[in-house]
Amino acid sequence: MSWERFAYFLDKTGSRWGLIAYVVLFFIYIFAPIVIVVGVSFTATSYVTFPPEGFSLQWFDRFFSYDAFTNSLIVSIEIAILSAICGCLIGVPAALALVRSRIKAANMITTFLLSPLSMPLIVTGFALLFFLSWMGLGVSFVSLLIAHTVVSLPYIVRTVAGVYRGVSPEYEESAAALGATRWSVFVHVTLPMIKPGIFAGALFAMLISIDNLPISYFFSSTSTNTLPVVMLAYLENQFDPAIAAASTVQLILAVIGLLLVERITGLDAMTPAG
Amino acid sequence: MTAADGGMAIPPSARPPRFGRARFYRSVSPWWIALAVIFLLVFFVLPLIDNIQRSIDLSTLLLPGTQQNYYAKLFLDPYYLRVTMVTVVLSVGVTAICVLVGYPVALFLVRHAGRWSGVVIFLLIAPLLTSIIMRTFGWQVLFARRGLFNQMLLGLDWIDKPLNLLGGPTPVVIGLVHVLVPFMVLSIASVLRSIDPQLEESARILGASKTKTFFKVTLPLSLDGIGTGSILVFLLVNGSFVTILLLGAGSMQTLPLLIYQQFNTTRDFGFAAAMSNVLLLVALVCLYLQLRLIRRRGTVGA
Repeated sequence: MSWERFAYFLDKTGSRWGLIAYVVLFFIYIFAPIVIVVGVSFTATSYVTFPPEGFSLQWFDRFFSYDAFTNSLIVSIEIAILSAICGCLIGVPAALALVRSRIKAANMITTFLLSPLSMPLIVTGFALLFFLSWMGLGVSFVSLLIAHTVVSLPYIVRTVAGVYRGVSPEYEESAAALGATRWSVFVHVTLPMIKPGIFAGALFAMLISIDNLPISYFFSSTSTNTLPVVMLAYLENQFDPAIAAASTVQLILAVIGLLLVERITGLDAMTPAG
Repeated sequence: MTAADGGMAIPPSARPPRFGRARFYRSVSPWWIALAVIFLLVFFVLPLIDNIQRSIDLSTLLLPGTQQNYYAKLFLDPYYLRVTMVTVVLSVGVTAICVLVGYPVALFLVRHAGRWSGVVIFLLIAPLLTSIIMRTFGWQVLFARRGLFNQMLLGLDWIDKPLNLLGGPTPVVIGLVHVLVPFMVLSIASVLRSIDPQLEESARILGASKTKTFFKVTLPLSLDGIGTGSILVFLLVNGSFVTILLLGAGSMQTLPLLIYQQFNTTRDFGFAAAMSNVLLLVALVCLYLQLRLIRRRGTVGA
């Protein structure tokens, strides 16, 4: 087929409606497995089946009565929140300083702070495990927290720097010129303006942390297992709807987190993160 | 000209003092940067350097008889060479499929979605709320022996008995593309958005067909977006093992999966370290390409 005929063919068929139909199919592909898992979690059967037969909450009951699941869920939530807080404590001041920095290397430093995002997590996790063991921390809650903070830090730096770059220095300058101290400029002027960036970055970091298997895996022990680690171990041995229930619980938690952030800041802040 | 300028440049301290307002107000001291840099140096860079040392295994180098060169094993042993090749082919293949699958969606998002664009972006980001295990499990349910696909095929009388759909590259690729294609769509869309629609209109007015306009104007201008998206997706495939472990059902072996198994069962940490250094090297090359692309985009945009 010649180029001209191919072009003609596409012109005739590649209409706007064709594109819309394609996009609809695309989103069916994206959401099918998710809808299926939520469906399976409510099944009344003792095996995985879709469409689910009957309706029951027995698999949620199973999830909440199985200690390995509930304990790991608590560890996951603790680590997600604490690593986001640590990431903010280290990352927010650095992002603010970098945006207004006159140092030539500022761009390079920003790239460096974002570099953990480009590293396969399994490499970071593997390397950190041996390093932290050498430091005497070994497999512990603190090690897990440090490892997760290494990953949460770049997300927070990126979103906060993105928001702060759009803030004119004049607000802070006016406040300072009117006699506000450095601290009160920070608390009353800078902080309220960058708050959406902090919350969006922290939310992103928490979502990544909750789903982080490659790092958590290396630091797993009975007291530091996170939910994905326990789910993977379970899935390697069994194939039953308990995994669907665990997934649904995790999804509900993520949605609650999203709604909380939305109430505080509005979702517009999420866009620079994407 | 530039050399002369450089030579004549006035050192900052000798510049006349600025009057009026200060050029920059700094809310926090630049020293705060140091804290973040030190944190990452200690807990990110040092461990990676430590890892390189582990893979070379200095103790065995001193005893020639017991010397074990992990890299020779990795690149010369046919089995491990094959694993490395599978990793590369899978990463490239999934990236290419993500471009093909994602491009039309990005085009729709930027050019046709109109007031629906917010909804489309939300639908692209929403799957991030689900865990990777959830999505992989969903595909397992679909592909299972008594799963939806087999039931549909049986119902249509296309097959007599359920097929074994799990295992092999197809479910792995379907699962990986499913997880990663939103990143590709968002990367391409952000570049498409910066293309002036008037360029396309001009081409159309001058008589180019819709398709020709796309291939001669839109596509070349959006190559940067394809580039950034591809690097991102390539990196993510390169480090993922959950999808391959669960959907490949043992039929597929890649470097990250091998690291996971070396750590889990064989416990040959030196070899696992050597494999993770190969992944590290790939990541560094990608990071470099990414920086070059961003720099180019920066100048093009300005």
